[in-house]
Amino acid sequence: MLSVKNIVKQYATHRALDNVSLEVEKGKIFGLLGPNGAGKTSLIRIITQITAPDSGEVFFNGERLNTKHISQIGYLPEERGLYKKMEIGEQVLYLSKLKGLDSAEATRRIRYWFEKLEMKDWWSKKVEDLSKGMQQKVQFVATVLHQPELIILDEPFSGFDPVNADIIKNEILELNKNGATFIFSTHRMESVEELCDNIALINKSHKILDGTVDEIKASYRSNTYWVEYEGDYAVASNDVYDVLQTENVKANTLVKLQLKENRTANEALSLLLPHVNIHRLDEVIPTMNDIFIEKVKGQNHE
Amino acid sequence: MNKILLIIQREYFSRVKKKSFIVMTFLTPLLIAGVYAIIGYFTYKGIKDTHDSVAVVSNNKTLTEKLQTNDNIEYTYINKSLEEAKKAIGKADYDYILYLPEFTLDAPKGIELFGTKQAGMSLNRRVSGDIEELIRTQKLKESGISQSDLDKLKTNVDISTKKIADTGAEEESSAGASTFIAFTAGVLMFMFIMMYGIQVMRGVIEEKTSRIIEVMISSVKPFQLMMGKIVGIALVGLTQFMLWIVLTLAISTAAVSLFVNKDDVKEIAAAQAQSQVTTANPTMSAAATQAGPIGDIQKSLAGLDVGKIVMVFIFFFLGGYLFYSALYAAIGSAVDSETETQQFMMPVMLPLLLGYALSLSVVTNDPYGNTAFWLSMIPFTSPIAMVVRMPYGVPTWELALSMAILVAGFLGTVWIAGRIYRVGILMYGKKTTFKEMFKWFRYKN
Repeated sequence: MLSVKNIVKQYATHRALDNVSLEVEKGKIFGLLGPNGAGKTSLIRIITQITAPDSGEVFFNGERLNTKHISQIGYLPEERGLYKKMEIGEQVLYLSKLKGLDSAEATRRIRYWFEKLEMKDWWSKKVEDLSKGMQQKVQFVATVLHQPELIILDEPFSGFDPVNADIIKNEILELNKNGATFIFSTHRMESVEELCDNIALINKSHKILDGTVDEIKASYRSNTYWVEYEGDYAVASNDVYDVLQTENVKANTLVKLQLKENRTANEALSLLLPHVNIHRLDEVIPTMNDIFIEKVKGQNHE
Repeated sequence: MNKILLIIQREYFSRVKKKSFIVMTFLTPLLIAGVYAIIGYFTYKGIKDTHDSVAVVSNNKTLTEKLQTNDNIEYTYINKSLEEAKKAIGKADYDYILYLPEFTLDAPKGIELFGTKQAGMSLNRRVSGDIEELIRTQKLKESGISQSDLDKLKTNVDISTKKIADTGAEEESSAGASTFIAFTAGVLMFMFIMMYGIQVMRGVIEEKTSRIIEVMISSVKPFQLMMGKIVGIALVGLTQFMLWIVLTLAISTAAVSLFVNKDDVKEIAAAQAQSQVTTANPTMSAAATQAGPIGDIQKSLAGLDVGKIVMVFIFFFLGGYLFYSALYAAIGSAVDSETETQQFMMPVMLPLLLGYALSLSVVTNDPYGNTAFWLSMIPFTSPIAMVVRMPYGVPTWELALSMAILVAGFLGTVWIAGRIYRVGILMYGKKTTFKEMFKWFRYKN
């Protein structure tokens, strides 16, 4: 539904985005990852039409991005902000009217959301009287109220306590089930693994990785396993596996094995079984966090 | 377009509903009227009622004429030495002792004024004036002019100024009234432009520091947001202005009917109906509560086309406000907090202050001169200079030209400010310089 093609954004002295392209499929949750200053916010600002790219194009449902699409995009910026002296209800109403909703419909939806997120009595409170977490909730409602097709959330969970973070996460999943497409920009890799279908990793203005979370993780598997066993037996490398690491944990021993090409875990186990008492076998799957660090560090050393 | 309306609405109502706005709107005319009434009352009373008794101790044989008791000072010649008079001052019924030593009429030196209190400036001036008058009288008499001739010389001159209009008709006018209105209009214009211009700047900074700006800009264009704010606040200004007019009328009518007897009321009401000048400034209506000399001013006000002056005031308020508030919006967008605004405020404030100072001095002295002409043409100063010139009469072509230049001027500043604003509002944490603002201005899109 969203195609970003060869975007270049140049600021006075540095290039924030260099020939970045990516595809966001309809109904998916897309993770936009990258270290600070990589160019994520620049890209989001182009998609939300806050700024324009120097070259390259963005297509929304096959159409070149234009002002008509503003009402179909919801954006929660990383730096949250509301008018401090304005009443909550009035404020959300104002923001949704700016997105093109009429008063009656907007009011109806605000009441629905306020009820749903347990903030019924907040209508005439002022922002400055709310806690940070409460303000975040208000802002989340303002972001999704006009039922946008594409919702862009920049660090959506920062500032939420675990309980509220969970509430918001469930709302995101529900909206997604009902057809909304999401773009997440975040550093929190656990939420990426939990929620995202696809990701793109941006570092130093370039896209350095993209694909589905499953594919990417699979491509980073290295046929490595942790084996925990009991028994007085030193495991050594052979033609089935190499031993990378050995550790003693209380009475047990922990070894990290890497299988050789075309070997399976079963073969390794059958070699071990006669000698030791196996307690556990885990495949070492890299977390998104590991991949993130490896990719970014690798590039930074170049 | 619809979005701009929404923004204007919010900017307008969020301000008009504020307590401070309501208090300001209702209190300001009362305060101003009150302050002027008090000043007027005491000045008036001061002129009439000050009564000092001065004992004169004269060792002077040359000066044979005696000081005459007048409205303000009661002179009593006493036959005591200076020392005795000084001792007696606590108990005696005089407040001051005027000591006249021996001197020649050409060089009156050594005159002293003693008192238990320090003699004020006005008493000092009056006494020296009386003595000067006395010496002049004596000299005139010595040169052979009789007292009766001297009395004949005393005439009160009251010039009534009339202006010949283009049509040839004579219009009643008063230099005093014109100057009064010019001053009030100039001060009001300066206050309005400053007050509301700074409100625009504050509003922009508020949006920036509260970080709502990014949400807003993802819904509306920066230019829409800026213009919405500027127009919304302009409407707040107009509302306040209109309310002041209505309130002032109401207060002055009430005050007049309370304090002035019925015949005067009719007269004043008639003058008001003709002039409506009271509407332009709260101070006049306060003055209206005191008939007398002010009644004269009111009469001459009738000669001024007050409706036109008010219309021109509103036009130049809007023009000048738009011109300056755009610059204020640009400043607001370039900084992170109000404390950082100072270096940018200077160049914006300076022309406004200069226009204000020059308008109230040079222009009121010579409303048709070269300086007045140029000040009322340059858009940085024209809003103030033009309203100051208006009561004295301004040729139509000059007025039209000045208006056209002002419109072009604010279109220019709005355009420039818009280009700085769209970049500035998204910049955080950097100390902005003029060089940087110029760069922003040149960014394409």
